[in-house]
Amino acid sequence: MTTEMQIDSYLTALRLHLGPLTIAEREEIVREIGAHVRDSAEETGASVETVLERLGPAEELARQYRDGLLIRQASRSFSPLTLLRATLRLATKGVFGFVVFFLGVFGYAIGGGLVLTALMKPILPGNTGLWLENGHVLRSGVLFPPPGPPAHEVLGMWYIVVALVVGSVLLLFTTWAIRNALRISQRWQARL
Amino acid sequence: MAQPRALPAEGDQPDRWEAQLRKGALEMAALASLWRGRLYGLEIIRFLESNSQLVLGEGTIYPILTRLKAEGLLSSEWVEAEAGHPRKYYQLTEAGRERLRRMAEAWTSFAGGLSRLLEPVLGKQEEVK
Repeated sequence: MTTEMQIDSYLTALRLHLGPLTIAEREEIVREIGAHVRDSAEETGASVETVLERLGPAEELARQYRDGLLIRQASRSFSPLTLLRATLRLATKGVFGFVVFFLGVFGYAIGGGLVLTALMKPILPGNTGLWLENGHVLRSGVLFPPPGPPAHEVLGMWYIVVALVVGSVLLLFTTWAIRNALRISQRWQARL
Repeated sequence: MAQPRALPAEGDQPDRWEAQLRKGALEMAALASLWRGRLYGLEIIRFLESNSQLVLGEGTIYPILTRLKAEGLLSSEWVEAEAGHPRKYYQLTEAGRERLRRMAEAWTSFAGGLSRLLEPVLGKQEEVK
């Protein structure tokens, strides 16, 4: 394999593993690493093979780029998908990340679920609501069949308002908490 | 009977701790290397090698530079070189200079305090010898 082919195959692998970044970011990185390999080989007289070895596997290099950029971008994002993807990456790095990911999934699932049931209430009024039995909360949500006596539904159409408010607050809080956790993690080990 | 430990505790890995420390300092070191003017990646690596004990894996510095640029602490431009291909030069932005100044102050006071704390530890070691 010629040296140009060796460099090209390394850069192709790098480009491939940089997938989640934008094309502009990706090409900038590939161009810079290409220049580095040529400069380093020229300066030290080392073979391209040695220089590539010193750079480490393309996959590992790409991972370092992705971690830094994805977590940083996510910490400014409001999209649950982007935020959860970043926390999933964080989860592979230690207990803190795992807890954040777990709470994130939990928060979005409950919050989203509540909002969804609020929307279902007008469609399935008899099956949606909050049921109490002897003063204790029995179940809430959309239930088939709805709980029968002595349990009774207490909120009626107010369920829409309550579920919307509580669900939205939970979604907002989860988003806020994840963004903060990502910022904190950026200042520690996660960024490197 | 002592149970074999599956995972060594954090405190059992001074090497790992040192590696973390080095990595954490790299961001500041990368900014500091650009204090006097613009450099490209390989120059930054050589600068850090010759001016400090920071010997880097060659791939380590580039993701850091990219992140620092994304944070607005560095700017970059491609400059045609005699080598036949352009090189990406980095330069501190005003925000980068300010951040580095604050980092340097914080680091110096932190390191000074820790050094005083560690004086007896190193002193005792010499006595034992």
